Amino acid sequence: MKVPLIWLKDYIDLNKNPKEIAASFTSLGLMLDKPIENDILDLEHRMDRADWLSITGCARDLAAFENAKFKFPKVYKEKGKEPTKESSVEIKVECPDLVNRFNTRVFRNIKVKESPQWLKERLEAYGMPSINNIVDITNFVMVELGQPMHAQDIDKMEKPEIIIRRAKNGEKVKTLLGEEVELDPDIFVLTQNGKASVIGGIVGGESTGVDNSTKNIVLDAGNYNQTNVRRNSRKLKIQNETVLRYDKYLNPELTQIAMERAVGLILELAGGDYYENYDYYPKKKHTNPMTLRYKRIKTLSGMEIEPPKVKNILELLEYKILDEDKKGLTLEIPYFRTDIEVEDDLVADVLRINNYEKIPVTLISAAPPKEITQPIYKYEEKLRDACSKLGLHEHITDPLVEKNDNDQKQVALENSQSSEKNSLRTAIYQTLAPVIDMYKKQNILKCGLFEVGKTFELTGKGDSIDNYSEKRVLEAIYYKENLNPYKTSLKVKKLLGGLLKEMGVQNHYFQNEKNQTLIKQEELLIGELKYDSFTIFTEKLQKAETANTRIKYDISASTSEDISLVIKVGSIVGETIKSIKELNSSITEVYVIDEYQDKKLGENKKGVTIRIEIATDKSSAASIKEKILEVLSQNPDIEIRI
Amino acid sequence: MDIQKRVDEINLQFNDNLKKTKLTGDFDNLYLKYFSKSSGATTLLLKELPKFSEEDKKKYGPLLNDIQNTQKEAIEQAKILYQTEQILSPLIDLTLPEKPDETGMLHPLTHIIREMNDFFRYYGFSVAEDREIETVEYNFRKLNLPEDHPATDLQDTLFVKQPNVLLRTHTSSVEARILTNYKPPIRVVTPGKVYRNETANKSNSSFFHQYQGVVVDKGITMQNLKATIETFLKFLYNTDIKIRFRYKYYPEVSPGMGVDIGCTFCGGNGCEVCRYRGWIEVLGSGMIHYNTLKMCGIDPEIYTGFAWGMGLDRLVMTKFGIPDIRKLYGGGMVYK
Repeated sequence: MKVPLIWLKDYIDLNKNPKEIAASFTSLGLMLDKPIENDILDLEHRMDRADWLSITGCARDLAAFENAKFKFPKVYKEKGKEPTKESSVEIKVECPDLVNRFNTRVFRNIKVKESPQWLKERLEAYGMPSINNIVDITNFVMVELGQPMHAQDIDKMEKPEIIIRRAKNGEKVKTLLGEEVELDPDIFVLTQNGKASVIGGIVGGESTGVDNSTKNIVLDAGNYNQTNVRRNSRKLKIQNETVLRYDKYLNPELTQIAMERAVGLILELAGGDYYENYDYYPKKKHTNPMTLRYKRIKTLSGMEIEPPKVKNILELLEYKILDEDKKGLTLEIPYFRTDIEVEDDLVADVLRINNYEKIPVTLISAAPPKEITQPIYKYEEKLRDACSKLGLHEHITDPLVEKNDNDQKQVALENSQSSEKNSLRTAIYQTLAPVIDMYKKQNILKCGLFEVGKTFELTGKGDSIDNYSEKRVLEAIYYKENLNPYKTSLKVKKLLGGLLKEMGVQNHYFQNEKNQTLIKQEELLIGELKYDSFTIFTEKLQKAETANTRIKYDISASTSEDISLVIKVGSIVGETIKSIKELNSSITEVYVIDEYQDKKLGENKKGVTIRIEIATDKSSAASIKEKILEVLSQNPDIEIRI
Repeated sequence: MDIQKRVDEINLQFNDNLKKTKLTGDFDNLYLKYFSKSSGATTLLLKELPKFSEEDKKKYGPLLNDIQNTQKEAIEQAKILYQTEQILSPLIDLTLPEKPDETGMLHPLTHIIREMNDFFRYYGFSVAEDREIETVEYNFRKLNLPEDHPATDLQDTLFVKQPNVLLRTHTSSVEARILTNYKPPIRVVTPGKVYRNETANKSNSSFFHQYQGVVVDKGITMQNLKATIETFLKFLYNTDIKIRFRYKYYPEVSPGMGVDIGCTFCGGNGCEVCRYRGWIEVLGSGMIHYNTLKMCGIDPEIYTGFAWGMGLDRLVMTKFGIPDIRKLYGGGMVYK
């Protein structure tokens, strides 16, 4: 909201410089948004206070804050002449759900001309060009009081009537800016003789605009359904001063005050005869009185403000005290305060005008409550540390991806602005793998990356939130230039093994199922393995059995046995080899130390050397080795070479 | 048993072994060979001492102890000499530059969140998380954002299934869930991803991160809110910063409060960074709305509470000197 100081000072006497005034506005809730230029304050407006979109609304709060006198502008209370057949413009509202009030007056034999200097000066400081006295008056009253107004040339109307109805599909209006806009029945229009001339609450039309030849006008101040105006202005992509105000909650009572102000100005600046006309206002708006308990101010702020001070602040803000006792006040809410919802909003008014800086600073003294951090949160923090220990870099990537029509489980978005980001990822790999390109570009030819985040899946149909599952996942990817998939897979498995070791998870094994390799511990599925990456379901891993066997305090003899095997290419023997570990409690580790191809081994055969670590001396190890050989020889795919 | 002969043999052998080891540097094995408890040659000989005749004991006891000490000392000295020689070897030039070992890096955001969590844990806060796909009820309604409120506009919200299922637009949805699921006293912070229907540019992305705090208890006031925020900001920036509290409207709180810090770039005189305000807005806060407490099943006449929220991404960008939010999240940042 732009507040030119020259205009502000019409309503408040204040001997302060622009910077000081801006500081006061900022404290009371209207923060200075842009640097002060030419004595114009540009204040950030939040959506609650419709009255802060008027200079008087801003001035009233500033006066209260500064304890200065606020001067409301002069309004013209006298009624106009009784409508005659000649003067009257018929008003009809066919969409009462969208129109709360439509207040009109008629002026005849006015003189449209240039506005006086004081009026031009104020509008121009605000940033509105001066057009003629009538248009300028409607704009002036809008900025001064916050109520959009609108004048139409009666002689340009095909019939002296304003019928407000929903637009027809495809109906068109040429706006004041000369732009042709196509409408639909969500939008309402002001019409005469069946023709739409104004888009309700949004923009006037060219056909009935006021110009220097205009003699007779109908002036209106409407109050409309704000949601409708907001939605339609966005749909039509029309943003202007009218829309800015109509998409907030205005009180229909304001139309009368704005009308009285405008009548006075028109009679003063354009002369002519002034007639009453129809004021469509079927349901008078009532605001219920509210009570403010002094103790509520203390409850929220922790400080006492003396009742006379509270009353003074509220009266400066134009609350009417209907009743009072020791405990508090019963208040009539001013018509322009459509934002007041609960008692605490009244407390907010008292505290902000009293200045927040006056509220003391006191740390919470109560004992802290019981810790409710979920164990998975801490567990994932440990996983992050474990990954970085292994040399993996953490990345965070955008979970939004392009829709994949073949993925039935993907959760799609209904209204994304971007076609590249209109669905949620089902695997972190989808968004993390592209990061490798950044490393390649940087000429980093080797990298391991990880991300801890969520993947999303559709698990059913319908509105229920239960149909959208979120899975907590750790994804790790490894890349090294010119490393073949087989060798990459060895590195990936080493990283995975290192991670599990760090987390104390023992005895994991791999199992091929369908086209996937699963990472399991007994029956527990803890993740999935690919040649270049692995996925860990963190909540599952958290449930895996763990033991910290890395701390050895019994330093006894330990030895190892290597066994060379010949294995048929394509056979899967991981489980047999892993089962060796169960044979004797002294066996601590079983792993592959070499895997090679050699023609001497025969067609479709490969050599695999495994190492078995045994926590015993050489002589006891010999008998264990015999047992191992026996188990291995039972698998028809394994040949022992030794 | 010719003890003298065995002593001579061990000595001879030891000297020979020591000579060889001086070339290889494997002094640990040499030590074990002579002094291992179960199989060390010198140790074994010493172990036999009790079986000797009284005369031999007198003669060889001190001698064997001498031998043991001399051998141990010889190994120790040879080891030190060897290491010194190694370091002084012309083959080693310690002044040459090296490529450092690789270490894994955590994401800058993780660093910031951890720092903040640590601070708040000290003040008795738990860390809470919840769904990213949310319902209109938890994302808007319980936070006093009724249907038709401008903030609930289609334009700003990414919907999964209109009108009820969406991607959370703020971490306040976690606040609504915590207030609904737990009884006061409550003290939590909620770091997390949030989503908006925006086209990505240098400073906006369709997803970003927020950090929110919620406190509910008997007797919680704005004084506690101010103190918590002040202590936190002094921790996050430094103890000399200026802090400004002012009224600001947010739908989910009343009274609402905006918090600024004095611009550290211009010292409050006004510059481009602070948009010539002299102040930088750092977070929004306020007393949790009466209706929010009520809708979440907490009696607002008994309990009061405050909440604050802030974006994390700008903070991370400033602290780590990253100019473009897109780079932060997979779009062009690597660790070297």
